[in-house]
Amino acid sequence: MTVSSVISSVVVVGGGIAGVSTVAELRKKGYVGDLTLLSADPVPYDRPPLSKEYLAGGRDLDSIALQAPEWYVDQRISLVGGVVAVALRPDAGEVELSDGRVLTADRIVLATGGRAVRPSLGEIGSAIHVLREVGDADRLRTQLVPGARLLIVGAGLIGAEVASTARKLGAEVVLVDPLPVPLAAAVGIEVATWLHGLHADHGVGALTTTVETLLETPAGVAAQLTGEPGSREFDAVLLAVGLVPETALAEAAGLETSRGILVDAGQVTSHPSVLAVGDCARLRDHPRAEHWEAAQLDGARAAATILEAEPPPTTASWWWSDRYGLHVEGVGEMRSPDAEHQTVVRGVVGEPPFSVFTLRGERVIGAVAVDDPNAVRAARRMIDRGVDVRASDLADPGTDLRKLLRR
Amino acid sequence: MDTAKSQGIRVASVDDIPEGEGIAISSDITGTEDDIAILRDDDGTCWALNDTCTHETASLAEGWVEDGDVECPLHSSRFNLKTGKVDGLPATRDTVPHRVEVRDGEVYLFPGERP
Ligand SMILES: Cc1cc2nc3c(=O)[nH]c(=O)nc-3n(C[C@H](O)[C@H](O)[C@H](O)COP(=O)(O)OP(=O)(O)OC[C@H]3O[C@@H](n4cnc5c(N)ncnc54)[C@H](O)[C@@H]3O)c2cc1C
Repeated sequence: MTVSSVISSVVVVGGGIAGVSTVAELRKKGYVGDLTLLSADPVPYDRPPLSKEYLAGGRDLDSIALQAPEWYVDQRISLVGGVVAVALRPDAGEVELSDGRVLTADRIVLATGGRAVRPSLGEIGSAIHVLREVGDADRLRTQLVPGARLLIVGAGLIGAEVASTARKLGAEVVLVDPLPVPLAAAVGIEVATWLHGLHADHGVGALTTTVETLLETPAGVAAQLTGEPGSREFDAVLLAVGLVPETALAEAAGLETSRGILVDAGQVTSHPSVLAVGDCARLRDHPRAEHWEAAQLDGARAAATILEAEPPPTTASWWWSDRYGLHVEGVGEMRSPDAEHQTVVRGVVGEPPFSVFTLRGERVIGAVAVDDPNAVRAARRMIDRGVDVRASDLADPGTDLRKLLRR
Repeated sequence: MDTAKSQGIRVASVDDIPEGEGIAISSDITGTEDDIAILRDDDGTCWALNDTCTHETASLAEGWVEDGDVECPLHSSRFNLKTGKVDGLPATRDTVPHRVEVRDGEVYLFPGERP
């Protein structure tokens, strides 16, 4: 079972970017055996548009498909849509499906993603929403009409994106978060402060508080916010407070899990014939990334492991987000200035395009940019290649960052 | 602009396009459906692709050009400069390459002709 030449069947459970990337990379790397992709959705689709263009109504389900339906046929991938895996038996190499079928494979890849956290504040239903699936986006959209009152709980990336989309659709938005400056760890305090301030600039009531109770009433939802004398009325509420990795199958099968299905650097779980990729997986001793590209790269790594091929080169983790017409990107790790780290601003924070770098000594370890994606692409290469740079060169918008890479 | 079809359209001087970058040529000039991006690889060679990323609406002329590929400035899909082939989601459709020629330091574009 350890020599790739005897691997003749692979089943991938979960049709998000991680699962689709796994099957795509297996074929790209020359795997010719049986390949099955189980997807709870009839055709796997992409999630980032669900809080952006899809929610805004600018794109339909076909246009957010990860691959066109014909692609699966061309690639000889048996796409089993509309079913879920209900049990996993690693020693036997078996996956049991909700329709009673049992699939057998030499390798099983879990790509089950995660679910939106559902705090016990009120029933998710017609007026209280989470946002992870296309159905969630469809339900939320029907309520985002001009003048509708929307409460968003959680001002992380998804909460902020929905606030922006909802404003575009004409809704009145209140956005609450217990943190005065959400996302400070991800983008650094300066950029986070400015980004959060954009909400108020766009007419969103951004409040530093928590929601104590949500009560569905005939008129909508009554929300009791901490420290307020009475409750407030809303037409809709979105709970955007994080993700729980979907580990149920793995746990029931006795695989090691802890805030994710634990994997090694080759995406292999505690069972040698089961791998895990994307939001459901966690590399031992590391936090989960929970970003699109990380899930895609996990899939490429899993394919390489299965085929005993060269894994993709390691690279600093990268993400993007969009709000109020601005494109935000981040790479690597942002740190507050201290004895070891300094913050370098290129341009002016608050006047896009601009970018901010964290330097450790002469090495870039992270960067965030608003409307300046090539600064992040340069920073990523500086991190990956271990290029020494001077803070003064980075800070000068007249310096061509590509030239710093070529030195 | 010199629009004699057989000789191509003179669209820029090579020196106007830094290595690793691109410029967009409007469809008014190229006569094509989409604008065309002239992309200069880090080895100095020039290539041309339809400008709009096949995923959404980004301009590839604003992308990162390196090692025979251009990386979309929005979601980092990669397109081969020579063939237009996409390598890497979220884009799934190839884009269209066009022939370019450099003569005496000037870039000539042949819209609709394969490189
Ligand atoms: C609204 C939204 C906006 C986002 N925006 C961005 C962004 O702008 N930039 C960015 O970098 N990231 C963004 N992300 C994060 C990114 O989309 C995720 O990191 C990515 O989707 C993870 O991919 P995945 O394949 O691991 O999991 P998922 O996309 O969750 O896919 C897992 C799939 O497995 C299925 N599944 C689960 N259990 C089973 C089972 N037992 N049997 C069969 N199928 C099963 C699920 O139904 C699901 O379809 C966003 C996420 C959301 C929700």
